[in-house]
Order: sequence, then C-alpha cells, then structure tokens
Amino acid sequence: MPFPHILIASAELSAETPEFLTNSFLSWLTNSILVTALVLGGIVWMVRSCTRKIELIPGSGQNFLEALVEGFYGAVEGILGDKMTKRSFGLLGTLFIFILISNWFGLLPGVGSIGWGVKDGFLSLSTLQTPLLRPGTADMNMTIAMSVVSMVLWFYWTMQVTGPVAFIKELFGVKGGMTGPILFLLVPLFLFVGVLEVVSILVRPVSLSLRLYGNIFAGENMLATMINIGHLFHCPQWLTSVLSCIVPVPFYFLELLIGFLQAMVFTLLVLVYLQLSTTHEEH
Amino acid sequence: MFIEILSKFGVDWPHFIAQLVLFLIVYFVLNKYAFAPLLKILEERRKRIEEGQLNAEKIKMQLAEAELRYQEVLRKANDDAHHLVEESRKNNEAFSQREMERAMKESAAIVERARHEITSERNRMVDEVKREMVSLVVRTTAQVAGKILSPEDQKRLSEEASKELSS
Repeated sequence: MPFPHILIASAELSAETPEFLTNSFLSWLTNSILVTALVLGGIVWMVRSCTRKIELIPGSGQNFLEALVEGFYGAVEGILGDKMTKRSFGLLGTLFIFILISNWFGLLPGVGSIGWGVKDGFLSLSTLQTPLLRPGTADMNMTIAMSVVSMVLWFYWTMQVTGPVAFIKELFGVKGGMTGPILFLLVPLFLFVGVLEVVSILVRPVSLSLRLYGNIFAGENMLATMINIGHLFHCPQWLTSVLSCIVPVPFYFLELLIGFLQAMVFTLLVLVYLQLSTTHEEH
Repeated sequence: MFIEILSKFGVDWPHFIAQLVLFLIVYFVLNKYAFAPLLKILEERRKRIEEGQLNAEKIKMQLAEAELRYQEVLRKANDDAHHLVEESRKNNEAFSQREMERAMKESAAIVERARHEITSERNRMVDEVKREMVSLVVRTTAQVAGKILSPEDQKRLSEEASKELSS
C-alpha cells in the first residue's frame, strides 16, 4: 500500500520545493530540523531567562520552572527511588519537556499548513507537499534519536547499578528460587524466556519511536486534512476558507491532549524500563 | 530490510545525526542550566526548612523551659514576699505590743508622778494654810487681849491652834 502523499512530502523534499533548499548547502536542513532548532532556541531562552539569577526566594519564572521540576522529580522519585532518580532525572525531564514543546509547536498556526505544493490561486495551494515547518516529533529521525539516546543511557545505568552478571542472570536465570531436578527442567524454558526478553529490549527503541512518530504525524495529517476539507469536497472558495477556520478547532484540542499524553507515554515508558532493570537492586 | 523500511519513513544518517545532536544539546542545556541548579536550590530550601523546623522546635523547648523557670522564679518570689510580709507583720505586732506596753508603763509612771506631786502640793498648801491660820490666831488673840504676847504665849497659842487644825 503506497504511503499518503503528505508522508512522502514529509520524508523528502518534493519537486515543488524551491531549488535553494534542495540543491545547496542547506540541503541537510529539513523543516523538522528547523523546528527542532527553534524549539531548542526557545528552551535555551526560557531556561536562561528563568534561571539567570537563581534565588532562594524565587521570581515568577523560576517559580514556574521549580514547580514543574519539583512535581516531576517527586513523581519520578516515587517510582525509581532516590538513587536512580538522581542519575536519570535529567534524561526523563528533558524527554518530557522537549517532546511536549515539540508536539505543541506543531499546533501553532502555519506549522504544517504553510509551505510548497500545487498552486491554486494567489497564496493558495490545492495540495500542500512540503510544509515550511513541521514538528520535530513528526520526523522519525528525531523520534529514533531520542529512543536511541534513551536506550543507550538505560543500558549504561543498568550496567552501573546491577552489573553485567546480574543483568544476564536477571534475563536468563531461573526465577522463583527453584532447586533440585526441577531446576534443570526449567533452565531451557527460562533461556527461551530470556531470548524473548532480549528481543523485546531490542524492539523497545523501535516501538518508542514509532508510537510517538505515528501519533504526532497522524495528528499533523489530520489537521492538514481538516484545514483542506473544503478543497476535498470541491466547495467554493469562500466556503473553503470558512471551513478551514471552523472544522479544525475541535481537533486542535484533541491534539493538545494527544501531545501531552504522548510526551507522558514516552517518558513513562523509559522510566518503567529503568525501574524494571534497576530497582530490584535498590530494595 | 529494516533500514529500507526506515528509509521509507525518511530516516537517513545525516538527518538522524542532526536530530541526535540537537536532542543532546537540549539534554545538556536543560541538565546543566535548569535541572541541576533548580534541584540544588530546592535541596537547599528543603534543608533550610528542615533547619527552620528544628530551630522552631528548639526555640519552643527553650520557651517552655523559660516558662517553667519563670513560673518557678515567680513562685519563689511569691513565697519570699509572702514570708517577708508575714515576718514584717509579726515584727510589727511585736513592736506594737512593746510600744503599747512601754506607753502604758510611761503613762502609769506619769500618773503616779502627777499623783505624787498633787499630794505633796496639797500637803504643802495645807501646811501653809495651817501656818497662816496659826499666825492669824496669834495675831487675833493679841488684838483681842490688847496686850503684847510673850514668845512663850505665842508658842503655846501656835501649838494649840495647830492641834485644833490637825484634829
């Protein structure tokens, strides 16, 4: 089954894209990398303006960040324990904040709806092929990058806390404190379970990245479709304009919720992976 | 095959590395400039609150001790004051008693002395009246008799008049 046209457009620049973007030193710069850079700039600006002068009695910006960090830190500490939280909070906090801002950036007016495509009058496109801006989380390069960083750090911290022997024992060892002849009967079974466990660990980055990418990209597509719904039904220009303003509104609220939930899901899954592989050592 | 599927989703090394670097920069920035200083200040604040609570607890205990000491001092002062008042009242009573006795003795002595003086004054006056009366009797007798009385007559008449007046 061929991918929808907009998906191809998001993956590679189409023929309608201006030449300066495809055949120049800017060819590495995709719309999602541009948005990621903008989000990075926004985060740097926000962090520096809120924490430039950290004081014991906080100002409004510092207070906002403190509330965010303290609330999130408490939630993570409740699951991972004090020791692992100190190690992993930076990654988990970054994942949540970055994914949330990236997801919600996609809902700003113009993101995903302004770009290059098939012209349909003055400043109007019948089909948008290459949006000028696209959220980083709607680009699988970014979701895979985040998954890879998360899983590499997960492996590093797991090795630090449990050690390789305990890790392999946890994967392939016979659980339940069995002894005697039954232990030898169960060894092949638990070896097989261990192999399945290894496969599930290897699949984690793929599942993490595909889940986030799929949800956000689907949301982008849905909003683009809702904005162009007048074109799809060949409505007159004035009705198309009215519909493009009214129809997407409920879907924007839905996407706000989905953006938050996906940030939460990605972060919580990494958190759970860490908890599964490290907390038994802490207790 | 896996790489082929990924490439259909637009995944390629340059863009992957670009996004990876951007994400690592975000991680670095947030970790270094947001989480680390904020967690440090939160920890510092938590410690200060703990210290504050400990100090408040200590101050509360000290206050309770001071209150106990104050009550003890107050009770002791009350006892002392009560004791002093009691003692001074007793002293006062004894003093009053003594003064009263002394005053009564003095008044009795004054009365006695006055009585004595009155008696001696009365006796002196009676003696003087007697002497006047004797002299009057002698002078009257001499005028009535029309002659000059001899010293023996005068002495006899004085003795007789004195006897009469004494009786």
